[in-house]
Amino acid sequence: MSTSIPDALNTLSAGLILISAFAMVATRQVQGVLRFFVAQSVLLAASSFLLAYSRASVHLWALGAITIVAKVLAIPWVLRRLLPAEFYERREIAQAVNIPTSLLLALVLTIVAEFLMGPIVATTHDPVIRVNLPIGLAGILIGAYSLVARREAIPQLIGILAMENGAFFAGVAIAPELPIIAELAVAMDVVLIAVVVGLLTRNIRETVGTTEAAGLDELKEEATA
Amino acid sequence: MTLIAILALPLLAALLSSIRPLRLYASAITIVSTSACLALAVYVSAQVIEHSRVVALPGWFEADGLSALMLVLVSFVLALASVFAHGYMQHGHEAGRLWWFYGNYNLLAFALLAVPSLAEPNLVWVAVELITLFSVLLVGFDNTSNALEAAWKFAVLTIMGAPIALLGFFLLFWTYRSTTGGAWETWEGLRMAAASMDPSLLKLSFLLVFVGFGAKSGLAPMHTWLPDAHSQAPTPVCAVLSGVKTTVPLYVVLRFLSVVLASPAARVGNWMIVLGLVSVGIAAFLLIQVRDYKRMFAFSTVEHMGIILTAAGMATQAADFGAVSQILNHAITKSLCFYVAGAMLLILSTREIASVRGLFRVSPFSGGALLLSSLAIAGAPPFPIFLSELSILSAGVQAGHKVVVAVLGVLIVIAFVAILSHVNRMVMGKPAAHVSTGVLPASCRFTVWAAAVPVVLLGVYVPAPIHNLLQLAAQQLGGR
Amino acid sequence: MIEAIGYNLLQVLFVLLFAPLYAGVLVRLKEMVQSKRGPSVVQPYRDIWKLFHKDQIVSDQTTWIFRVTPYLVFVMPIFVTILIPVLTDYPLVFAFMGDMLAGGFFLGLAGFFAALAAVDTGNPYGPMGASRTRMVGFLAEPVFMIVFFTVSFVSQSTIPYIVQQKWVANAAAFFSPAHVLLLIAFLMLILAEGGRIPVDNPSGHFELAMIDESKGLEFSGRGAALMKWGGEMKFLVLTCIFLNVLVAPWGLAHGHAVTNVLTAVPQILFKILLFSLVLVVIETSLAKLRLFRISEFLGAAFIISVAAMVTSIFPGG
Repeated sequence: MSTSIPDALNTLSAGLILISAFAMVATRQVQGVLRFFVAQSVLLAASSFLLAYSRASVHLWALGAITIVAKVLAIPWVLRRLLPAEFYERREIAQAVNIPTSLLLALVLTIVAEFLMGPIVATTHDPVIRVNLPIGLAGILIGAYSLVARREAIPQLIGILAMENGAFFAGVAIAPELPIIAELAVAMDVVLIAVVVGLLTRNIRETVGTTEAAGLDELKEEATA
Repeated sequence: MTLIAILALPLLAALLSSIRPLRLYASAITIVSTSACLALAVYVSAQVIEHSRVVALPGWFEADGLSALMLVLVSFVLALASVFAHGYMQHGHEAGRLWWFYGNYNLLAFALLAVPSLAEPNLVWVAVELITLFSVLLVGFDNTSNALEAAWKFAVLTIMGAPIALLGFFLLFWTYRSTTGGAWETWEGLRMAAASMDPSLLKLSFLLVFVGFGAKSGLAPMHTWLPDAHSQAPTPVCAVLSGVKTTVPLYVVLRFLSVVLASPAARVGNWMIVLGLVSVGIAAFLLIQVRDYKRMFAFSTVEHMGIILTAAGMATQAADFGAVSQILNHAITKSLCFYVAGAMLLILSTREIASVRGLFRVSPFSGGALLLSSLAIAGAPPFPIFLSELSILSAGVQAGHKVVVAVLGVLIVIAFVAILSHVNRMVMGKPAAHVSTGVLPASCRFTVWAAAVPVVLLGVYVPAPIHNLLQLAAQQLGGR
Repeated sequence: MIEAIGYNLLQVLFVLLFAPLYAGVLVRLKEMVQSKRGPSVVQPYRDIWKLFHKDQIVSDQTTWIFRVTPYLVFVMPIFVTILIPVLTDYPLVFAFMGDMLAGGFFLGLAGFFAALAAVDTGNPYGPMGASRTRMVGFLAEPVFMIVFFTVSFVSQSTIPYIVQQKWVANAAAFFSPAHVLLLIAFLMLILAEGGRIPVDNPSGHFELAMIDESKGLEFSGRGAALMKWGGEMKFLVLTCIFLNVLVAPWGLAHGHAVTNVLTAVPQILFKILLFSLVLVVIETSLAKLRLFRISEFLGAAFIISVAAMVTSIFPGG
């Protein structure tokens, strides 16, 4: 298994993407979570540029550029425009699960991802796919977990966006020839998620007066009502 | 070209209804555009019945029997709901904000219509995602704390499914590309190539898409957003959400299922049956203890999604026919139910089942409509849902799934009893002494009448074109 | 053979001589980053020199443990030095006498006696520091184990020299997620074991907040000098393991000639200088964690190390 330098650097960013996923779980400050998300998006773009270079793929160059524009520039901008600075200075004290346990669970999810992807990865000899597929799935699962464990609106939103990052990290390896229009549409969709959820968060804050999603529990199943 | 026109119309309407001088006429614009979509969709289905396939732009916009059926259903519900909204939204909403509602509504219409007319699966994913995003803001439109809570749960649970499904689509794309050597990916092409694709990869990608989109179509155990969203959203939106917003992601799951079924090594049918039964079971028991009549109809949606999934899991031609008829009947009946619920809400201004009594005496019109629609949605003869559920059960017996049929039958009966006992309490008896009755706008009254016509008719007589369309649609599900 | 023993002695000499310099550079750099002048880089040498010339006072309440401890703390890092690659990238005479676990054992023994000695004095701050150090140690232990297991799993060996050769030889292994995760886990470990911010503040003077420093409060004269020197050597040894075995196994002497080994000295020093820049950036940009948050810090290190192990075991890594 000989590895070219861009592919080797791609595996490096795979490791860092996993780290940033852990960091998003471990960070208390809303601001910090957002920063790690941006860092993760930069790594994702770097990864797709590297693979674009090594595979001479126009699609991946485009995808990297789209990622930079949508996730590194547009989403933080949109979120800052929509929500007052007070949101980002917030510290999240009341989490559903404390941070060491969260990290342990994130670890378990990584193991699950490796297990699930193990048989599939075994069918291919492409080193990039072998690295990206499990770590992409781990990114998705950890993002989903932080969505469940977080209590603040913005970290929950960033959990969703981190899941997208995970899916794309797997995508750059296995589906590099996706139609450009689809890539564009997906990127637009990601920004739209930020806009819609941001708007919703603003409305919730104006009406309910808190952005702790835990406060939203009036509607229940009939059994417990 | 018609297909592209169907997609262009709602976009145009969304644009027009947000231009400042035209904002006042937003509801008229929406009614016109959705009715035009309905006409075009009927035209497309006529074409499909004739040629079995309409191609607007090869590889991008194509329609077969299943897509045509979905197009007709979606545009039918959208058109009637926009008529209903015309009267409904004038009550209790600032006139200045209505254009925002209609703009969103038209964008939602665009996304809903795009899903069945697109042939490229990855774009279908985008369209499904857009559906969710545009409906989130509609659910929270009332801006009360309950509505926003519902919108938040709805957003988080359903958007969370999207990246999971996206990975599924990427995996599908990967295996398709490596099997066919780089061919353009379409639903049709996928079915052709399915037999030679790697079955474990196919199964995994189906699993991911099922998890992701199952949440969007309200299948248990990812259904928890559904009753909240459906009880809190403005009623015309509920009709769209419950009638077609749930079946459109399910349509994608069924398409994908037909691809997986075309691969002999990947057996998932039995799993679909089990998961479908779980949804039906959970919904049936929650129906017993429901306290809000809009939530009651919402749980019945979960039940119907489960029935459709179970039928599709049986994977025989007869069961597939039952499944597509159930999609059709669910859409027309459930939207009627929500129009009725909206009318009741306007008249009684309460959503609680316990505080509604003697509706017949308060308002004979809505009382009668509630009785009719509930009988229809619960599956009493001679309504169409009875017919499609019966055909699913008999198809199950033919396919040898005796236990499944027995369980499904029992659960349907439980749901039936639960719904009708609630409705019975609301419709019959003496009303409380001091009931403040609101006025029902003419457009709402009209919608209830118009929506009731197909519900009554299709139970007695299915016209030949609709029958043909259903058969064409059932073929696409790939049952043997 | 003689030559190899000579090089081994050279390594020991390197560690002995440059450990105080390393500590001095770190302090100076940190002060510079904080816009202060700071003491000269040779200040640690002066401190040690001064302490050696002072009288030693030993409380008559203490036992032999208190008297033995400074020597152990001083000698153990030297033992580790002969096991690890400090200057050469080929194994020297004693390389196969013990593996990485043995190195961990030596350092652990020194730490154990330091803790006992702190309790031995009866000074109230000593036992407090000792118990805190033990807490950090307990939490760091699993990380150490997992890192060693992963390393030995990837390289099929626990001998530092062989591990180091695995990383050089194989670019794919060098950039693999397992390696990156491992590096971060080990870096966090060094911060904890070396008593650096964010776990402990090496320049703090407030006894209640101390973790590592308070154990040495009762030592004086020669004992204090040995403790200080030993601590500095321990940190240099850990840095050498990190840099030469795990991060950047470049710059080590490849040839067997004396000149090769001598030219390796400035290269290694340069690497250490770069690393101290990184360390200074970390130390100045973070605040010291509250005591109860240390478990989270090391918990995170543990998670990362296990993630490294997971990604190295499965075919993807």
